[in-house]
Formats: sequence, C-alpha cells, structure tokens
Amino acid sequence: MNCKELAYMLADYFDGSMDPGLREELDAHLAMCEPCMVFTKTYQAVADKTRLLRRHIEYEIPPEVRKRLETFVHAAALKYPEKVREYRDQVERDRREKVGDLVRAATTGDLSGATSLLMESHCAACTECRHYFDVLRETGTPQAGDPPEGVRSHVIALMQTLPPGEEFFLA
Amino acid sequence: MSAERWKEDEALLESLRKGGPGAVDELFRLYQGKIFNLAMSILKNESDAEEAAQDVFMTVIRKVDTFQGNSAFYSWMYRICVNTCLMRLRGKRRKETVSIEEFMPVFTDEGMHASPMDDWSKEVERDALNEELGRMIRKYTEELSEKYRLVFVLSDVEGLSNEETAKILGLTVPAIKSRLHRARLYLREQLSRYLREGKAG
Repeated sequence: MNCKELAYMLADYFDGSMDPGLREELDAHLAMCEPCMVFTKTYQAVADKTRLLRRHIEYEIPPEVRKRLETFVHAAALKYPEKVREYRDQVERDRREKVGDLVRAATTGDLSGATSLLMESHCAACTECRHYFDVLRETGTPQAGDPPEGVRSHVIALMQTLPPGEEFFLA
Repeated sequence: MSAERWKEDEALLESLRKGGPGAVDELFRLYQGKIFNLAMSILKNESDAEEAAQDVFMTVIRKVDTFQGNSAFYSWMYRICVNTCLMRLRGKRRKETVSIEEFMPVFTDEGMHASPMDDWSKEVERDALNEELGRMIRKYTEELSEKYRLVFVLSDVEGLSNEETAKILGLTVPAIKSRLHRARLYLREQLSRYLREGKAG
C-alpha cells in the first residue's frame, strides 16, 4: 500500500468497514510513514471537530424568523383537521380516477405486461373479479359507475403492488 | 439516533394522525431548528430558508397520512426538506463554488505525499480555538457544491449514519461514503492552509 492508496481508504478505515487484511496493511504503513500518520490524524481531527463543534457550525434560527414561522405553522394547525379531510378527499378522487383508468385499459386490452400478468393471476383465484372483467371484455365497453366494492378493493390492492412509477397501461 | 428521540417521534406521529390538538405545535417545537438549519445549509440564504421551512411544515402536515413507518419520521422529514430546498435551487443561478479538486491531496508519481505535512491535530484540541474553528468549518462547507455539502452536513454535522443519509438523499451508501470522504479531504486541506497561514501571520 502506498500513501495515495492509504489516503483514499481512510473513510473505510474509520467507519470500521475495512477488510481486516487491508487494515493490517494500512496500520503497518502508518507505523513507518510520518506524513501518512500526520495526514491520518488531521483527517480524523476534521471529523471529530465537526461533530464536537456542531453547535457552532449549525445555523441558528433568528428569533424573528422563528416567530414568523411559528405564527405560520400555528395558523396551519388551526386549519389542520379541515385540511386533513380535504386531503383525504383528494386521495379518494385520485384513486377513483385510477381505478376507472385501469378498468378501461383492461377492457380494451391496453394493460402493461406486468399488470396484465398480475390481473390474470388474480382473476384465476378470484371469481368475483374474473366474472366482472370477463363481462367487460365480452361487451367491450366499461360499465358506467364504479366497479362493485369487492372488485374495487382488489383492483386498488393490485395497483399498490406495482413498483412506484410503473404505469399499469401501455403508452 | 437515540431511543428517546424515536419515542418522541412515535408519539408525535400518532397525535398528528389523529389530528390531536397541539400536535402541529409540538411538531414545530421539535423540528423548527433542525429544518431551518438544514434549509440554510442548502440554500445559504435566510429568507429562502424561511420560505422553504414553511413549505416543509405544510407538506409534512398534509402528507403525514401517507407516511409509512418503514423509515424513521425524522428522516422522512429531512427528505422532504432536502427535496423542497433542491426544488427551490433549481433554475436559480448558483453561486460559483470552489473546485474541490484543488483541495485534494497531491501525490508523486510513486504515490507518496508530495507536500510537507503539518500536524495540527493537537493544536485544535484547545477549546479556545473552538469558536473560530467552527466558523471556518461552516465557511468552507458553504463553499462546497451541494453534492458534497449535503452529505457532509447530514453525516458529519448532524451525525446521521451513512445508511440514513443515503435514504434521505436517494443515493447509494458507497456514493455517500465517497462524497463524505472527499468533503473531509477538502476540509482537511482548507483547515491545514488556514492554520498554517494563521501561524505564519
């Protein structure tokens, strides 16, 4: 191990993730190389001092900023229960829309590969869903309104098993 | 992070979800300092940090329902803060920062240290130097680009583990380690130069 290699391994050396063989090599180098010893000590001092001087390094919140922020957050707190309701309603609307999209895509055969696999294996085990989607595919048009509650909850569960960002229909 | 902190967060989360009175005030009391500090380390401007902090608290209040307990509450909050601040930075002209390359150690072709080493590790143990040293570490940290600054602030200043920092920033642990290491190398070099010049002057 030379000085350059040593310098680039110091993070592992200090966080304990270093391979024991390498650690021995590194210790042996340190014992006979004055510049590396000094380099290592001062490197470690940076991390130690940073932790120790945290209060000097962090930004303190100025009193007037703190006050303004508190007023703002407090006002938000008063509206909080109402906001939560609003937000839950929004989530429900989004979900309804998504279920509608998925049912349409299933009817027209536009589901993505991953989703149609999931659907197939689910429908193989669930009579209610199988029946619902079979009828849809036969008629070729989605029924008006939401699917029955049972189907709806299965579809939601299915969508939640998709990895985030994965679209359930073909572009 | 300590067990007490964890418990405090659990209780807070519970009460936020129920919409309990005072829950939001408690959230503010516990996190105002942390959030402001983190926003300042990213945005480096008080009024931007203030607005970002407002956004962060609003987002947390609105989204607490969607928080899934698979990460700690504070790290979820830090993540919201980091994202909020980075969004604000986007499109803004960034101040020129120093090139970290200029402050990496220099080696000979044989891989030996090319410049003389000055051992100041004992010197900085004196408490009298603390205030000045803290100020210099903050100043040099501010000069780093966000890429390194954020990792350094979360890991070395805030004391989060590499795994936690990786989750908050959406990076891998090896990426965190390598950035953290470079940030420390840079600070080591800056502090060496500063202390050497200080002694000479």
